[in-house]
Amino acid sequence: MLEVKDLHVSVDGKKILKGLNLTINAGEVHAIMGPNGAGKSTLSNVIAGRDGYEITSGSITYKGDDLLEMSPEERAWAGVFLAFQYPVEIPGVNNTYLLKAGVNAKRKHQGLEELDAFDFMQTVKEKAKLVELDPSFLSRSVNEGFSGGEKKRNEIFQMAVLDPALALLDETDSGLDIDALRIVAGGVNKLRGKDKAIVMITHYQRLLDYIEPDFVHVLADGVIQKTGDKSLAVELEKHGYDWVKENK
Amino acid sequence: MSVLTQTRQDALNLFEKIGLPTGRDEDWKYTDASRLKDLLQPTPTDANIHIKDMGVTGLDAYRMVFINGLFAEAESNLPEGVSILSLAELEKNSTGEDAEGIAKLFTVDTKAPLMNGFNAWNAAKASDGAVIILADNAILTKPLYILHISNQSNVVRHSFMIGKHAEAQIIEHFISTDDSKALSNTCSFVALKAEARVEHTRIQQEGDKQSHVARVQVKQCKKSSYQFHGVELGASLSRTDLVVNLHGEGASCDLNGLFVLSGRQHADHHTRIDHKAPHCTSRELYRTVLDGRSHGVFNGKVIVHEGAIKTDSNMSNGNILLSKNAEIDTKPELEIYNDDVKCAHGATIGQLDDKQLFYLRSRGISAEAAQELLTFAFADEVLVAMSNQTVRSYVEKAAFAKLPHSDDLEEMLGS
Ligand SMILES: Nc1ncnc2c1ncn2[C@@H]1O[C@H](COP(=O)(O)OP(=O)(O)OP(=O)(O)O)[C@@H](O)[C@H]1O
Ligand SMILES: [Mg+2]
Repeated sequence: MLEVKDLHVSVDGKKILKGLNLTINAGEVHAIMGPNGAGKSTLSNVIAGRDGYEITSGSITYKGDDLLEMSPEERAWAGVFLAFQYPVEIPGVNNTYLLKAGVNAKRKHQGLEELDAFDFMQTVKEKAKLVELDPSFLSRSVNEGFSGGEKKRNEIFQMAVLDPALALLDETDSGLDIDALRIVAGGVNKLRGKDKAIVMITHYQRLLDYIEPDFVHVLADGVIQKTGDKSLAVELEKHGYDWVKENK
Repeated sequence: MSVLTQTRQDALNLFEKIGLPTGRDEDWKYTDASRLKDLLQPTPTDANIHIKDMGVTGLDAYRMVFINGLFAEAESNLPEGVSILSLAELEKNSTGEDAEGIAKLFTVDTKAPLMNGFNAWNAAKASDGAVIILADNAILTKPLYILHISNQSNVVRHSFMIGKHAEAQIIEHFISTDDSKALSNTCSFVALKAEARVEHTRIQQEGDKQSHVARVQVKQCKKSSYQFHGVELGASLSRTDLVVNLHGEGASCDLNGLFVLSGRQHADHHTRIDHKAPHCTSRELYRTVLDGRSHGVFNGKVIVHEGAIKTDSNMSNGNILLSKNAEIDTKPELEIYNDDVKCAHGATIGQLDDKQLFYLRSRGISAEAAQELLTFAFADEVLVAMSNQTVRSYVEKAAFAKLPHSDDLEEMLGS
């Protein structure tokens, strides 16, 4: 589904990713761990199409297409979704309108009819329930005045409504309380499927107890240093990141 | 000569003495008043104006219509038991014991901030206006919608006197029937007694060739509260002087302004808030969205006088320029003459927020629609404080129609 090859990315002349390789197949769940500032968010932003990053070499293909040639909205229409590490507040833009516009833009692109208002609201309500998002959040401005945890929950709610093929969750677990983590993880698990893939960026092994990954990668110094299964996360928790660098 | 005739003659003499403002006048640096000289003379006539279905429709309100500056009683609908009068009617009966009081409605306060020749001219030449006298504790149960329709130069002069504990919602709306070249010169005086509450909206939506010069002067007694919404959408040139005197302890004002301009439109608001008493609060939020070769001017001055302790004042002005050729001149000013105050003010001129744009696009909104949506949201935020939803959605639609918008966005907001 996603093939990142020898990706080099700089920001303001500073090299962040230095030849990163990553292959993700449909049906898989990947976890990416790594120290602060390693470039995890950079990678997910580049995949989602945020500008401001200089891609000096390498390639990203998504379902056979050159992802780097696509605009952020085209990527969204093709099924790429990023749950932001720091979701931005957008005063004056209604949460539900945003989703409706997003869903319909995607449908239009796929040559489908727009969803009628009633069907759309049904989906919205059902997905809100899935992540136990209070319905009052639906009519509020996007993230405005939401608490840290509410913002994260809203990201997963949006993911549930937009139904992406490739979901990148950038530290969605950070800031969630214990119950919220369980609920949100439950929501994510329900969105798993054989034609879908999930990439979770996290600092905590705990999340992986709820959403079991097929692969765990360690990103440090701009490359994937090590890949393993779930047990790698346990080792990391025990030994820290220096251990990875010493035991490549 | 009667006292009224004398007062109006004095105003005319004053006008002749001071004339129209010029570019040398600091407060008129950016707005050229000279081109309005030939349009001053009012032509109060209601010839050929059919007002059916004009203005905000579906509004549950009392209604007062002025056609080219003359009260059109037949088109109006006024409440029982509340003094809402026509200034021209009052003037006709001005020989009685009220003569002095009526003459006062035409007095020019030469010391008032931002006083200028247009204001003197208004007092001299006003053909009509609304005079509202709300008794103590009276509550106007529905908003009063004052619709001004014009295709000729007109001069109107309103006075709103709101008694203790009284409450009123007043909406002034200015529209044109065609694109004649004309000037509307309006003054609204608002006096709030102790604990009175007023929500005052002005929607300026006149024709492309029309010009509009306004003065809104507010005096607030103890614990009164005044909320203003000024919306500039129309006219080729418009200028509003908004002057608020926080005269009594604990009074508060909340001033909101929105300009949505395109083409070669020019709009200028000069606001002046005088904190004269302790414990007063002022809030001011002005936003402009400027396209084409339009030009916005915002000058917001707050003066905290000696003795006005515990003043709480906050002013913010945000501007978005949609085109390279659009221009904004903004100047928030703060003068403080005592130490015990909390004041903040600031202005931004900006492009849209990159992070917000990316967020919307990552959810599948096209780049174009995302920009338009954020622009609309930016403007719409000023309208949040408007309590009448019918008026608000009217203004939203009118503002939206003026902003560049794709079909995508129309669909998005249409529902
Ligand atoms: N716009 C930017 N301008 C300057 N430096 C940037 C910018 N974006 C990222 N960086 C730098 O790139 C490096 C990688 O940042 P990134 O956000 O990808 O790290 P991360 O692995 O997600 O870290 P964390 O675990 O703290 O979220 C950091 O050193 C960061 O300061
Ligand atoms: Mg990060």
